[in-house]
Amino acid sequence: MQHFNEPLPLPFLKLDKEGNIIYYSTLALEHFDLQEDNIKSIVDEESYEKLLKYSSDHQTRELQMELVFKSRKTPLALYEVHMVWDDDLYANMLLVPKDGSNQLLVEKMAALQQRLASTDFELYEQREELEQILTRLHELSGPFIPLTDKMSLIPLFGDITEKKIHIISQSCLQSVFSGEYEDILIDFTAVGEVEVKGMEKFVLLLKTLHLMTGKKIKIIGIKPNTAKVLNQFSLDGCMEFDHSLKQVLYRYFRKE
Amino acid sequence: MSFPKELAGYLLEGNTAKAWKAIEQQKELSLLDTYHEIITPAMQHVGFLWENNEISVADEHLATVTCDFIISRLAHARLGKEKQHSRRAMFLCLEGEQHYIGLKMVNSLFKENGWETKYFGSDLPVEFVVKSAEAWNPEVIGLSVSIVYHLPKLNEYITELGKLPKPPVIIVGGRLSEHYDLRPYCSENTIILKDLIEMRDWLKNEQTTSKQDAAF
Repeated sequence: MQHFNEPLPLPFLKLDKEGNIIYYSTLALEHFDLQEDNIKSIVDEESYEKLLKYSSDHQTRELQMELVFKSRKTPLALYEVHMVWDDDLYANMLLVPKDGSNQLLVEKMAALQQRLASTDFELYEQREELEQILTRLHELSGPFIPLTDKMSLIPLFGDITEKKIHIISQSCLQSVFSGEYEDILIDFTAVGEVEVKGMEKFVLLLKTLHLMTGKKIKIIGIKPNTAKVLNQFSLDGCMEFDHSLKQVLYRYFRKE
Repeated sequence: MSFPKELAGYLLEGNTAKAWKAIEQQKELSLLDTYHEIITPAMQHVGFLWENNEISVADEHLATVTCDFIISRLAHARLGKEKQHSRRAMFLCLEGEQHYIGLKMVNSLFKENGWETKYFGSDLPVEFVVKSAEAWNPEVIGLSVSIVYHLPKLNEYITELGKLPKPPVIIVGGRLSEHYDLRPYCSENTIILKDLIEMRDWLKNEQTTSKQDAAF
């Protein structure tokens, strides 16, 4: 066993096929007790089996694996081992210590363990149920109603929030895609508060609908508070406005 | 793909929703069978994947925490309202020992059988165990050890707990009990249980004996 006298930044070992240590770097000696000059004496029993299993194939030249070593500091030290077989069947190993990088993870895990111990699962399950109800409520707040083969109505209910518009968008786009609708009316009469984020998402939905139908989307029953928020967005002429559903339908059927 | 392997996949993804759904599909299984036939093999498979150089220790940590969530939620779903307790048991891992999933399952099984339990989880120093045992007086103390290097400490725990005025019954379990002879590290009265099935049998036997005692 010889000392490999180059200032390598990681512990380095060179082994023969039997696992005898031929060369070791300075850091390798600092990390491990190398009195017995075989790798077996510094690798944890179970990891040794893993090493044997994965290093025995000399054809695979480059190998990488996690192994537990008995270091001078602790009998269970995790290292990432990078290994290459050379032409004379010597294994060259660089060992990257891993315990430091896993430390944060272990601490987080302990914190989660604590948190779980104090979790009230009754509350947790009620919350989950509530979330499902809320999603269902959102789905029902923007029903897609076909009026004729070419015309459909989406009345919106309640406050305009990002989550609600997101959920409504999914079902609405699906329905428009599967039918052949040209005129889409969106009725704001039953809308309460309007969130800017929600309106942002709504304008996006309008533009998509406009692209899909090729016609302007008719917006009905805009109140002053909604108009103020809507005015912040560039609408690129993808929509037109009307006072009431009654007016729109009156004009539509008279034309027909 | 087998069911435990499927579950192992969800645990490694940290996907609590899918893992829980998978467990829910097997509602007809008893708590013990869910532990023994699904969760234990799933976690063993996670260990196997590390030995097989397919995942890292960091992945294992994620699977453990996710599994912990599933076990906690399962206990809540199955154990329901607290029962009338008559007997006390305490559970902990030896100092430095981080493998606590098996112990947590054993804790729930005792609860299911009407025991009042204290569960301390991983890494509990011997002084603390002795202090708590003195104050709380459990009939049974369950110790879990999974790493060979921690074995010498087992002896220390057992000796110290044996000195208590009312020495509790010590049960030792964990991965090692399947492959190693733990006797040399234990006292004469220590009970070594290899898996959850042995645990159930012991509990059953224990409960019948105590009922008989009460009848006399």
